[in-house]
Amino acid sequence: MTSNALCFGNDYPASGAPCFVQVDEAGLTITFESEGPDGTREAAPFDALAVSAGGLDHDHLVVKWTGLQGERTLYLKAPDVIGAFRQAAPDHLSLPFAQAAELVRQVRYRRRLVWGLSLGMILSTVLGLWFASDLLVEIAVSRIPVEWEQKLGDSAYRDFLANQEVIKEGLAVTALGEMTQRLTEQIPNNPYKFEVTVVKSDVINAFALPGGHVVVFTGLMKKADSGEEVAGVMSHELNHVLQRHGLERIVKSLGLLTVVTIVLGDQQGLVGMMKQLSVELLTLKFGREQEIEADVTGLQLLQQAKIDPSGMIHFFERLSEKDEGRMEWLSTHPMSTGRAERLKAELAALPKKSPEPFTFDWKQVQASLGSQPIVAP
Amino acid sequence: MKSEILYPGAFPMVRVELTAGEHIKAESGAMVACSPTIDIESKMEGGFLGALSRKFLTGEKFFFQTLRASRGPGEALLAPTVPGEIVILELDGVSEYMVQKDGFLAGADGIVIESKMQSLSRGLLGGEGFFILKISGKGTLVLNSFGAIHKIELKPDQEYIVDNSHLVAWSSTTSYNIEKATSGWIASVTSGEGFVCRFRGPGLVYIQSRNPGSFGAWIRQFIPVSE
Ligand SMILES: [Zn+2]
Repeated sequence: MTSNALCFGNDYPASGAPCFVQVDEAGLTITFESEGPDGTREAAPFDALAVSAGGLDHDHLVVKWTGLQGERTLYLKAPDVIGAFRQAAPDHLSLPFAQAAELVRQVRYRRRLVWGLSLGMILSTVLGLWFASDLLVEIAVSRIPVEWEQKLGDSAYRDFLANQEVIKEGLAVTALGEMTQRLTEQIPNNPYKFEVTVVKSDVINAFALPGGHVVVFTGLMKKADSGEEVAGVMSHELNHVLQRHGLERIVKSLGLLTVVTIVLGDQQGLVGMMKQLSVELLTLKFGREQEIEADVTGLQLLQQAKIDPSGMIHFFERLSEKDEGRMEWLSTHPMSTGRAERLKAELAALPKKSPEPFTFDWKQVQASLGSQPIVAP
Repeated sequence: MKSEILYPGAFPMVRVELTAGEHIKAESGAMVACSPTIDIESKMEGGFLGALSRKFLTGEKFFFQTLRASRGPGEALLAPTVPGEIVILELDGVSEYMVQKDGFLAGADGIVIESKMQSLSRGLLGGEGFFILKISGKGTLVLNSFGAIHKIELKPDQEYIVDNSHLVAWSSTTSYNIEKATSGWIASVTSGEGFVCRFRGPGLVYIQSRNPGSFGAWIRQFIPVSE
């Protein structure tokens, strides 16, 4: 005999007495496990019974009656017994049975509904934040004052210069000054004061820091075939600053919570955090969309400054070729395929302007940098 | 599985004797010592997903261990991580217990352990997480608590109110509602949860005499905060 129910009553332990319930035409017969050969039996006629749903999940059938030994409560869970009971039960029990079954259904339905609704809400919140995060980042970035950006850029700039050899004067400095001048003249309401620093290094790189510091390595100048090529890189870099791409990356890496904090108005705590990030600014890798934006706006700026944009395109084409030496610029400005092609298409869509050449002679500028230009392999 | 509690009180151990070929389930990490005849297998009870759900949703350790007396009879000593009492229940095949995540220590082979999703309000407010262990089957079940373990016996329709963080295990014939604690309940101040469970019989409710969350908060005030 295997127990299929628990019986509760004053003479039984609080955990219930395991028992075996059988259904016959008169009612239930309950046999208790005991030491004796056939155990104790108790009969519960149908007309004495009251049924309901109970237990932790309302998944037990609770049968109550008053027997010879007092109040009895039976907790049934075995589906076969419940089925047999329901089938044999007389009419006066069919309504409570239906009510109990309905309650179980309702509880299950409600539980599923609540879980479903909550999961749905969580999911839509996550999705919403996912899609809104770019917007939030934009709003947050727009709330950061330019002065902070400059402070941040200044400290990163000082960190960087600590172990670099700067070229303070000469043809290279004046040439870059002329490029910057021509480009920045075309920027309406420019909040930034762009300062260009030439650093002596064979690394082919250039970068701009939030706030307006632009650093160009002599390696890049030696690599370029013309002033227009360098101006193309400069225009691209200036536009990273103008579009505040560096800040966007920082704010994104600080996480959504910080973004929300900035949007809601508490920018104070951010200053310290951004200070720590100033070192990371130097290795900041821009995103693909930011690159495209800087390319396109850079191209437009060149066009406005009447600097031949084909220099930029030509330089990008050469950069995307393999084995071009220490191409550091590419590590922070990821080169996606077809970038030059995209620029060509953009250029075709722009109104034609006749370019005005620079006043310097590029070969002389390169010669002033000392050693012979790097020879492509 | 024959079991015996050694050193009853705050720092007990349980000794289980296994006959040749017999195996039991134990919480991973519960094994203290055993005869050389016993092999320890890490088994994923309820399949990989079951184990995974236990791991992530109840915070239970990933595996239950299986201790198997493969090379003849032997014994094993098991102990819980936290100081507190051990209680041994004999499941009869009909009774089922819901056990909060840290309450399970060991069970005979005939014991069935399932992860069960609670209703949302119980999961959110009850303090045992969204998933609890539902333990049924036939055989010995060993539970452990934080502090002393106390058994509350409920007659049909008898009610009792328990601070949720003191719950260890309760029979599935009971039912409970989550209620907001009226002032004066310990949990409302210390754990900040402020919810209690109103249990209704019949059945048993096992509670622990110490609240792990409150204890953690109490300990924390003595830990120097580094800058
Ligand atoms: Zn770029």
